[in-house]
Amino acid sequence: MSDARISAYADALVAVARAEGATSVVEDELFRFARALEGSDELRSVLSDPHLPTERRTQVVQDLLGGRASSATVALVSMIVATGRISELTRIVDEFITRSADNRGEAVAEVRSAVALTEEQRSRLAEALTTRTGRPVTVRNVIDPTVLGGIVTQIGDTLLDGSVRTRLTQLRDAF
Amino acid sequence: MTAFFAAGKPNGWWLPHDPNEVIWGTIAFAIVFGVLYVKAFPSMKAAFNGRSDRIESTLNEATGERETAEAERESTKAALADSDSEAARIVAEARDTAERVKVDLITRAEADAVVIRDRAMAEIASARRGAQADLTAEVSRLAAGAAERVVHANLDDTTQQSLIESYISQVGSNN
Repeated sequence: MSDARISAYADALVAVARAEGATSVVEDELFRFARALEGSDELRSVLSDPHLPTERRTQVVQDLLGGRASSATVALVSMIVATGRISELTRIVDEFITRSADNRGEAVAEVRSAVALTEEQRSRLAEALTTRTGRPVTVRNVIDPTVLGGIVTQIGDTLLDGSVRTRLTQLRDAF
Repeated sequence: MTAFFAAGKPNGWWLPHDPNEVIWGTIAFAIVFGVLYVKAFPSMKAAFNGRSDRIESTLNEATGERETAEAERESTKAALADSDSEAARIVAEARDTAERVKVDLITRAEADAVVIRDRAMAEIASARRGAQADLTAEVSRLAAGAAERVVHANLDDTTQQSLIESYISQVGSNN
């Protein structure tokens, strides 16, 4: 999908979330769903299967998110599934979150760790990153077992890698 | 004589018993002889002479041909003698050529052997370097794998929290 189309979808998501007055909630839910989709080949396969009727695929979304996410989130994901753009959902959601944060004058940090951060750790990390970048930072934590240990933070084009995985890779490359 | 010419009776001699037959036979013979002498003898003589000329001519031709054949024989003998010396020269030249070819072949074979040996040495050196690189990579992979297993075994919750805290402190201290 072209960057222009990604931007158009992201703008649409921003507009809907703002209209529903639930930008923060939608951001969080879409972020989690995008990460879940990223980690599940089966879910991606089902939602992008062109042989399945659109109604069946949107029904899968309803079954997955119904009762666990806001109606705005369910509607937005269903829209993306119905338009056949599920393979681009991760990029759309990342762009949506970046734009929403920009609108608030904030930056979004995608923080990958092998275990979930506590609220207190997220808060301290957000504070440290805010000081470092000079603008408010919202931390989005992704549980990623491949990190092994430590944290990998991505803010825009900046990568702060403190993962055990990277240290092991560096160790292997040092031989 | 009378007895000899006695007619009408056998006289017991070698002539016919009638002398007239002798006379007329002699006259007839003379006439026939004369006619033959005048008419036939010249053409017979010419025929004999022509035959003698033809024989002589044939003999002359045979003599000429014999002389030609002898000349050709001499010429052939000379040519044979020449061909023997030519054959000897060709054989000698062929031996020289063969010797030169042999020397060239040996020289070229030695040069090829040097090239092949150098190439083989280079390939052996390359293979050795490749094997060393493969060995190093394998050792590196095994060491990294062992390190990863050790790290995995020691990544309990306390260690994870310690790594996260260390990371947050580091991000904060780099401001």
